[in-house]
Amino acid sequence: MTSIRAWRPWLLGLTLALGLAACATAPDPSDRAAMRQYEEANDPLEPMNRAIFAFNQVADRYVIKPVAEAYVELPQGLRDSIRNFLRNLKTPIILANDLLQGEGRRAGETLTRFLVNSTAGVLGLFDVAAANGVPYHDEDFGQTLAVWGVGEGPYLVLPILGPSNFRDTAGMAADWLADPVRDWAEDHDKSWANWTRTGLRAIDLRAELLETLDKLERTSLDYYAALRSMTRQRRDAEIRNGARDQPGAMPKIEIEDDDDPPPQRK
Amino acid sequence: MTAMLRALCLLSILVLVPLAPAPGQAATPEQGAAFVKDLADRALEALGKFKNLSKADRETRFREVMHTGFDIPTIGRFVVGPTWRKASEAERARYLELFERYIVQTYAARLAEYDDEKIAVAAARADDGDVVVASQILRKSGPPVKIDWRLREAKAGGLRVIDVVIEGISMAVSQRSEFASVIQQGGGEMAPLIKLLGEKTGG
Repeated sequence: MTSIRAWRPWLLGLTLALGLAACATAPDPSDRAAMRQYEEANDPLEPMNRAIFAFNQVADRYVIKPVAEAYVELPQGLRDSIRNFLRNLKTPIILANDLLQGEGRRAGETLTRFLVNSTAGVLGLFDVAAANGVPYHDEDFGQTLAVWGVGEGPYLVLPILGPSNFRDTAGMAADWLADPVRDWAEDHDKSWANWTRTGLRAIDLRAELLETLDKLERTSLDYYAALRSMTRQRRDAEIRNGARDQPGAMPKIEIEDDDDPPPQRK
Repeated sequence: MTAMLRALCLLSILVLVPLAPAPGQAATPEQGAAFVKDLADRALEALGKFKNLSKADRETRFREVMHTGFDIPTIGRFVVGPTWRKASEAERARYLELFERYIVQTYAARLAEYDDEKIAVAAARADDGDVVVASQILRKSGPPVKIDWRLREAKAGGLRVIDVVIEGISMAVSQRSEFASVIQQGGGEMAPLIKLLGEKTGG
């Protein structure tokens, strides 16, 4: 309960921001090309999203990225163990979502991994299970909602947390509230543990993306739009659990009006 | 028995490689698989083997590989979307010229992560006249990276890559979305996109 109260100002702020944000002006419906583009982008809140994105980039440049760059200087073995430990702590959330999606085999893998890594892997510090053919997989409630048929809703850039959408934001909140590990720490006056865990997860993720995002920012014409498209596609792949033979797994490349001559200049 | 089958398979692929399909004739998945294997090996080699060369030299080598393997005009045409119709002949030509430089630059940057790695072609299937090839980059550390390739018969004949999908992210779709954003902010015209492409590629 305390947790919800602590988040109230945030939620209020978010709601206000959403309410105040001028929606991106939809193009003239008679302009079919522009209209299709607008729909493809799925970003009616683009002005607000771009503002938050700009804020995030400043936070990234001055705080998050420098910390991640320092972090990768730590020995690989230590960083691996931190990641393994964090992943092991996420077991209840992953297992619950495996089950909610009716993924029996994957739920079995998650449970096996937890049992093996918590014991033979010394409290989750070593991924013994992966070395024995049971690799890690992630799950979250946003993906579960998607499997249940909930649409993604408009694209949403969250402060600090980055690209998301309405469905996944709700999913993230649900996972956070339902997490027994977080709950236990809070009940035992160990909020510091929760903050440390959240911080480490963020740094681990950012550190992994250091090179990728640098390259993307350097080569893209519109970093915001590139990231928007890529995170949405990546999310779709995660929801499919990486399956490549499902419809939509491989986009069609259709070229419209291929042989149109160029317009005559007046 | 399976070993023999595999050897036969490999042999048939080796025999098929030099036989580029004649124009108008649909390519088979096997041809697609062999094409991707050969292309990816050459691309990774260009990126990896010449590590000590300057960035420009590596790009030159990579460009050669892209030319033989990718249908760059078709990709360029796709990513610019319906704005193509509004563009003049001169704008189209200039755009395609800059796009070629841009795509070599971006693909080289994105694929350079996988230099020194091996590619394994997993499966190939026919898809609506195209061939889709599923492959994996096997890394020295970490899980393999899934890369899917969409191949299409080029107008001039011969199989060419028109899209690369890395872990579910299509390069063509991402670029199309990005270009659309640039075009929209530039008032729906081709000119601002051309200007930005020129700045990005230093030409």
